[in-house]
Amino acid sequence: MGFFSTILGFCGFGVGVSLGLVVGYYLFIYFQPDDVKDPVIRPLVEQDTETLQRLLPEIPIWVKNPDYDRVDWLNMFLRHMWPYLDKAICKTAKNIAKPIIAEQIPKYKIDSVEFEKLTLGTLPPTFQGMKVYVTDEKELIMEPSLKWAGNPNITVAVKAFALKATVQVVDLQVFASPRITLKPLVPSFPCFAKIFVSLMEKPHIDFGLKLVGADLMSIPGLYRFVQELIKDQVASMYLWPKTLEIPILDLTKAMRRPVGILHVKVLRAMKLKKKDLLGASDPYVKLKLTEDKLPSKKTTVKHRNLNPEWNEEFNFVIKEPESQALELHVYDWEQVGKHEKMGMNVIPLKELPPEEPKEMTLNLLKTMDPNNPVNDKLRGQLVVELTYKPFKEEEMPVGFEESNAVQKAPEGTPAGGGMLAVIVHEAQDVEGKHHTNPYVRILFRGEERKTKPVKKNRDPRWEEEFHFTLDEPPTNERMHIEVLSASSRIGLLHPKESLGYVDISLADVVSNKRINEKYHLIDSKNGRIQIELQWRTS
Amino acid sequence: MGLTSGLFMGTVVGVALMFGWSYMMRYRSTKRISKAMDIKLLGSLDRNDLKKICGDNFPEWISFPAFEQAKWLNKQLSKLWPFVAEAATAVIKESVEPLLEDYRPPGITSLKFSKLSLGTVAPKIEGIRVQSLKEGQITMDIDFRWGGDPSIILAVQTALVASIPIQLKDLQVFTVVRAIFQLADEIPCISAVVAALLSEPEPRIDYTLKAVGGSLTAIPGISDMIDDTVNSIVTDTLRWPHRIVVPLGGIPVDTSELELKPQGKLTVTVVRANDLKNMEMIGKSDPYAVVYVRPLFKVKTKVIEDNLNPVWDQTFALIAEDKETQSLIIEVFDEDIGQDKRLGTAKLPLITLEAETVTEVDLRLLPSLDMLKIKDKKDRGTVTVKVFYHEFNKEEQVAALEEEKQILEARKKLKEAGVIGSTMDALDGAASLVGSGVGMVGTGIGAGVGLVGSGLGAVGSGLSKAGRFMGRSITGHSSSSKRNGSTTPGNDTPENGGSQPLQ
Repeated sequence: MGFFSTILGFCGFGVGVSLGLVVGYYLFIYFQPDDVKDPVIRPLVEQDTETLQRLLPEIPIWVKNPDYDRVDWLNMFLRHMWPYLDKAICKTAKNIAKPIIAEQIPKYKIDSVEFEKLTLGTLPPTFQGMKVYVTDEKELIMEPSLKWAGNPNITVAVKAFALKATVQVVDLQVFASPRITLKPLVPSFPCFAKIFVSLMEKPHIDFGLKLVGADLMSIPGLYRFVQELIKDQVASMYLWPKTLEIPILDLTKAMRRPVGILHVKVLRAMKLKKKDLLGASDPYVKLKLTEDKLPSKKTTVKHRNLNPEWNEEFNFVIKEPESQALELHVYDWEQVGKHEKMGMNVIPLKELPPEEPKEMTLNLLKTMDPNNPVNDKLRGQLVVELTYKPFKEEEMPVGFEESNAVQKAPEGTPAGGGMLAVIVHEAQDVEGKHHTNPYVRILFRGEERKTKPVKKNRDPRWEEEFHFTLDEPPTNERMHIEVLSASSRIGLLHPKESLGYVDISLADVVSNKRINEKYHLIDSKNGRIQIELQWRTS
Repeated sequence: MGLTSGLFMGTVVGVALMFGWSYMMRYRSTKRISKAMDIKLLGSLDRNDLKKICGDNFPEWISFPAFEQAKWLNKQLSKLWPFVAEAATAVIKESVEPLLEDYRPPGITSLKFSKLSLGTVAPKIEGIRVQSLKEGQITMDIDFRWGGDPSIILAVQTALVASIPIQLKDLQVFTVVRAIFQLADEIPCISAVVAALLSEPEPRIDYTLKAVGGSLTAIPGISDMIDDTVNSIVTDTLRWPHRIVVPLGGIPVDTSELELKPQGKLTVTVVRANDLKNMEMIGKSDPYAVVYVRPLFKVKTKVIEDNLNPVWDQTFALIAEDKETQSLIIEVFDEDIGQDKRLGTAKLPLITLEAETVTEVDLRLLPSLDMLKIKDKKDRGTVTVKVFYHEFNKEEQVAALEEEKQILEARKKLKEAGVIGSTMDALDGAASLVGSGVGMVGTGIGAGVGLVGSGLGAVGSGLSKAGRFMGRSITGHSSSSKRNGSTTPGNDTPENGGSQPLQ
């Protein structure tokens, strides 16, 4: 009997629990409103000490750390923009989700899945401080402390077998400190080519997930489990040193790298005008690309010839075939005095067919202005042959990403040896007594190299690269780098002076392959120079 | 018995479980919401809040200026500057050269950059203030300072002398840039950006001009001409209420709301002037008056020879875009061989005018509109004008806009034909054909540079000589005095450079 009643008791308990759960569900959960209310926020000054105590761990990082900057203006901006951003994001999300849902539905015999509600709420993310790191590399690093404790309401209704179930995400909270790196920096807007995002710590994520009105996340233990799962998942993807890479610019375009080679063959000129008093002119041709800083190239001088034949070849590296043009100037050579212009013409490169030689006969003009009447006079003709060879994709110099990595030494370097590359970036606070036109002199194994001088500048920027090919690693050697200034006029009054020097031991370069550092200059008040050294082995 | 008690116990346990769960739910939900509130609160702290939180341990390094500092932005900017400078060079050349062409004074046949590099010193952002003054718009004021070492060489070609390179040195720009972001419902959520230089505090743009391999005195007045053109470009295109509207890609949006539109028509009758200064060695001055609201649309009276009390009685129609901040400028010149001399300038803030009524005012002539530059207190006489302000309705506005476009178009054509030296003094086209030598409008207008940055932050700047910004800075004071409804503008004392109407 006792046995029987115990069995019955257990059965009753089982039924009772299910009954109780249902009753409880209807009692406590079902009739609760599932819409998200805007929280009423009282100003901080009115809060009591207890609330303040609770606030303490959340105090923004800029209050605590002086190296973080306050960015309340950004928060303000975001706050005003948030309603619009909310609508825009939700609209986009719906549009993206629709086709995916439509594709997946038939597989699972579900009637429909749709967003019943989709809003990110009224509370915008806030930036609780911004920190930037300054390195010697060409990159920008910033670390905002991002906190989003929002009140979103995302309700997805799933209909299947005439039943409807809702899944609701509420109170999403994400706290993260991403590191955003902008690199490489390039000289065309927006001035960086890629954005790298990575998380410095595991992010804090919290949310409520309501299934048919009941919050699964409040089942003890489950929340922690899910949270850890998400954290690990995110961490495995984006936790430093893993990064998310967002390309912004096409590097080839941004870096203005060479895209082709132009072969120019100057053939001959006809009917040039006589410029010299005695005898005929002594013509030669100068060739130059527009917007190219390289010095122009010259043919030989054909003495006393008004119909000279040169047949000389030249090569130009082309960076922008769309906008660049080849300028041809014919000059009259003189033993004494200024060489006289005999005429010129310009060939825009976009007119050239790629890969095929084209012979062109050009009328020489005085100026490039087509309406200028001085051009009506005949000045003779110039015949040139042009071939434009664009690089093929695979011939393109390898990507820029590796430029920070150490490149291979060029072919022909002796085994065991390599090439030492010295890149003189910039200097700061160099000052001469009488003049400050700094240039850098590099002394290494008796070899001397110089950069161009920068006129009247205390913070010069050279960005010049020098190469030394060596038979063996320069383990025990030093390199002498000196900043000098020469007077811009002939330096009789103030001869050239030294603005400071530094001796760099090369052992570190050999072991590190690459070193990019700022050195304090000796014999200078405050001067620093940034030098990059690379040891390239084959 | 067992069944009943089992059932009962089960129900109790079930309900309790559910209750526990819902309690847990509520607990966690309130916890999350309170955290959200905390974060929200801490997102915008002010001094009092922080004082309350920190008590006596208030961190000393924290301050709350009206313009929030952005040190991190400056660090980034100085690092990025060499790249920005290079990228901006091309953009500036493209956008400023046509502007120079538009504002080119007569006597200068061509004005181009022969060298342009922005130097190694990065601009500084002293502070940023974000407000929302209008629904759907965010206003961002950037306190922008640049004491740079750019190397800008202008190739100036005059009719008389061959090309002279003129170098702009020691450029300094101190200004507050206002950027207004028009919000939209679609990504990227900003449909247009409006950029302008705030007129209060006045933008300060200093530089020195130096002729390369020569002296500026080679052409008399060239320095003044350049200064004045820079000034006209900056006031007429960049300075509030003038603005640059940049629609951002992707969203088709009506930006006409943001654009500066003709607001009303100002009918000005320049009646006469009294007691003008005599500038001539022999005889008396030959005065004429130049009247404008925008320097782009200047009108001129006829010249009355040998008279210090000339009566012109000529009527012109001018367009006003922003009654609140614009002013009517009257400049009186003495026509002379070579360069015309300025006899005096007067300014009438439009805000002092009542719409649809004819007002006659006497304005005292001042040597310059910039109070700081006025050295002498000599009497320069007065000028009498009759003004009538008519506010446009919608149709008239459209018509006026159309007309303005046509005038500009016509001028462009004339200019292409080489008839007019510049668009600036062309409204009375026929008159300006007369001797478009070096000094036709004389120092009234000149040539120069305005510079519109672009790219991410729409960094705007410009160049002009110190204090050359005359007039047009209606201060809060003078506008408020209008709102008090005074119909006697003589009682008002505009704070800055306004001429005092005599009653």
